[in-house]
Amino acid sequence: MAKQAINMVDQRICVGVITGAHGVQGFVRVKSFTATPEDVAAYGTLSDETGTRTFGLTLTGAAKGVLLGRIDDVTDRNAAEALRGVEMWVDRSELPNADDDEFYHADLIGLTAVRKDGSAFGTVRALHDFGAGEMIEFDLAEGGNVLLPFTHDVVPDVDIAAGQIVVNPPNAVDATREKSSEGDGE
Amino acid sequence: MARSVWKGPFVDGYLLKKAEAVRASGRSDIIRTWSRRSTVLPQFVGITFGVYNGHKFIPVLVTENMIGHKFGEFSPTRTFYGHTADKRSKRG
Repeated sequence: MAKQAINMVDQRICVGVITGAHGVQGFVRVKSFTATPEDVAAYGTLSDETGTRTFGLTLTGAAKGVLLGRIDDVTDRNAAEALRGVEMWVDRSELPNADDDEFYHADLIGLTAVRKDGSAFGTVRALHDFGAGEMIEFDLAEGGNVLLPFTHDVVPDVDIAAGQIVVNPPNAVDATREKSSEGDGE
Repeated sequence: MARSVWKGPFVDGYLLKKAEAVRASGRSDIIRTWSRRSTVLPQFVGITFGVYNGHKFIPVLVTENMIGHKFGEFSPTRTFYGHTADKRSKRG
């Protein structure tokens, strides 16, 4: 299973990772995990996974799917190489406020989901958009998982402060061919 | 080669029937279907289908922009989940 890029305990988010050195002057290659790659350096002070070391990152360009940048106080290749694999994290509070009815995935993932009558439904696993609208995936309390549309009808209430969302799952009906009647067009 | 125009768009008959039944009922049921090959028709707009991707049913809320496409286009069979650092979703 992939490593979590969101630390729910400390409310920190992994925005990128240093993948190696570039050149001999201390530049580093950075793989960005943000929606807009250049935003990796836009959310204030970056720190490593443990939060003990901070970085000042200045982006200088891009090459072969990665960003190029300079870390403060890193001036030669050896120092840049030593940073390979270091993840860059920011506090959740550094992200700008979302618009109305817009939610950061980092805020929603892991929330407890309950039905309108208060019974347990599951937990939020992920959010997706495959081109047919936003959808939200739940790990069900009784096991398995399910994808539902992320709409007001299906998710009428999101309370991030309380760590809970209310779900009104729609009925599902199967569209299947009746065995004795029509063909299927082949 | 493109499909001949005189044939009209292909859609599985049972899916069309079920969509009409759900629309007539006025409920917001999800129609679970395995028919990824069916074309999205104008009368499907506003209905949510659960399109099977070989693993689970992906909810597809049909909008006007989808008309003429196949249901399978909106239900990927291979998924790269990517990273969610600062991704946002808007509730529809």
